Amino acid sequence: MRKSVVRAITFVAGLFFLLEFLLPAGEGRKPGGPAATQPAAVAAPGGAATAPATAPVRAAAPAEVGAAAKPKKKGNFLTPLLPDVTNFAIVVGAMAFLLGPINLVRNHLATLLRRGKGRVESCAFLACLVLGITVKSFEGSELGARLGMDVLHDALSFGVATAFFASSMALLAFYLVSAAHRALRLNNLEAGLMLVAATIVLLGQVPVGDWLTSGLPGWLQFRSWTQWLLTYPNGGVQRAVLIGASGGAIAASLRHWLGLGTRTE
Amino acid sequence: MRWLTKLHTLNQRWLYLATAMLLVLPLLVRVPVPSSGASGATRGLYDAIDSCPPGKVVMINSNWDMGSRAECEAQLDCVVRHLCRKRTRFVVTSVGLVFGPMFAEKVIRPIAREHGYRYGRDWVNCGYIQASGGLGVVVDGLCRDFHRVRPADANGTPIAELPLMDRVRTVRDIHMVYCVGYAPEREWISFVNGQHGTPVGFGCMSIMAPEYYTFLDSGQLCGVLVGNRGSSEYEALLGRPGLGSRLIMVASFGNCAILAAAVLGNVGMWAAERKRRQAR
Repeated sequence: MRKSVVRAITFVAGLFFLLEFLLPAGEGRKPGGPAATQPAAVAAPGGAATAPATAPVRAAAPAEVGAAAKPKKKGNFLTPLLPDVTNFAIVVGAMAFLLGPINLVRNHLATLLRRGKGRVESCAFLACLVLGITVKSFEGSELGARLGMDVLHDALSFGVATAFFASSMALLAFYLVSAAHRALRLNNLEAGLMLVAATIVLLGQVPVGDWLTSGLPGWLQFRSWTQWLLTYPNGGVQRAVLIGASGGAIAASLRHWLGLGTRTE
Repeated sequence: MRWLTKLHTLNQRWLYLATAMLLVLPLLVRVPVPSSGASGATRGLYDAIDSCPPGKVVMINSNWDMGSRAECEAQLDCVVRHLCRKRTRFVVTSVGLVFGPMFAEKVIRPIAREHGYRYGRDWVNCGYIQASGGLGVVVDGLCRDFHRVRPADANGTPIAELPLMDRVRTVRDIHMVYCVGYAPEREWISFVNGQHGTPVGFGCMSIMAPEYYTFLDSGQLCGVLVGNRGSSEYEALLGRPGLGSRLIMVASFGNCAILAAAVLGNVGMWAAERKRRQAR
């Protein structure tokens, strides 16, 4: 019964978004190029770059602002409902967001109570979770300031968390060099092709590559080769992957939407 | 010849030490950046921002934190400087990244103060917007009714009280959206550009750039700043070398370290194979 309700809601929501997108729209809903969204008279930006720092920020004429703020026509009859449905989806998503922490707390609490393997890590996780929630709850309030929560919040955010992020990303530089030494080996034709492409792109993306080939004609420079590699061979592959993945996503979405391939109870 | 074979089984610690030295060197010694002009991707973004008509607002989605700061900070810095120089107002959001607003604020506030920008009138930081309901839904919601999806700014002030937000209600009031982050999401292209026709530009890490060339080629992205290369080119267009120009030399040395490691590995492998053949 519960699953049927979920499937029914999924179907109705999917149908709503599909119809809202497909049904003919009025003027306000028509997609248009950048020119269509801009006022007819666009100010020439020529002198703007040298404007003094103290000059007031350019203000739009009231009519122009009004025209931009009020679309002439609404879309189809479902469009007015769209913000509410969108908000509903966001709220449901926020509820789903809680499932992750709840499951993690349950698992780690169970490990801790059973005194199982990894209980130290579980204890660290729970302590950090409680500390994070407490600090964030009091941060910015008068009581929080008195309890030193603002200082603790900054220390945790900018001191601990950012240091972890920075360290983990910085380590990648060393792993990349190490991996290049061990794995980029010229063993066969495919490996050779990859090595040549990697060399061109690595040098073409930095000024050293420009400097090395600065004496050559433009089309022979690393930069041009990099551009060609990224736009054509890479672009083709990216499109192929994207089209394939999108086809799979459409199929998966249709199955979810229509409730196919899932057990009812 | 024996020492060449040692390259095959070189202790990785020597590589790590050499990499660290190579990365730190350009930070300590100022190495001049050879001028080579802006790429089409950078020029496209510059032109899109430069063509912002009076009264329109640029939206910046700043989704980066410490992990991607090395490349994204300069990308945000140069674009905000350009906007301030042009006296264009802007709205900042961080859809889906909690730390986004804090890092964005650290970059934007000094530049805004330097150019006499007043918060609320000339720029607004709308802060973190959670995207757990699906990024597409949130981006679409922002396009249709900004106030409804994000009723308060990063400090909790209702955005209806901020003068600038009076003129930012839907995506029609926005000249373009610039998303800067590790790998800006494709939903911005699908909804902002695909459905509403508003130009979208990205600033991304170098390693994620190949994903976006196809959208650049099709015109769905007006421009992309690719890592520090993009920001250094943008700074050159602004005529003001900054953080990006300094960091691109670090990237140059890093890339050279990768290539040197690959060469050493191959030379060591050939030497070891030759030795093995001779021994047979």
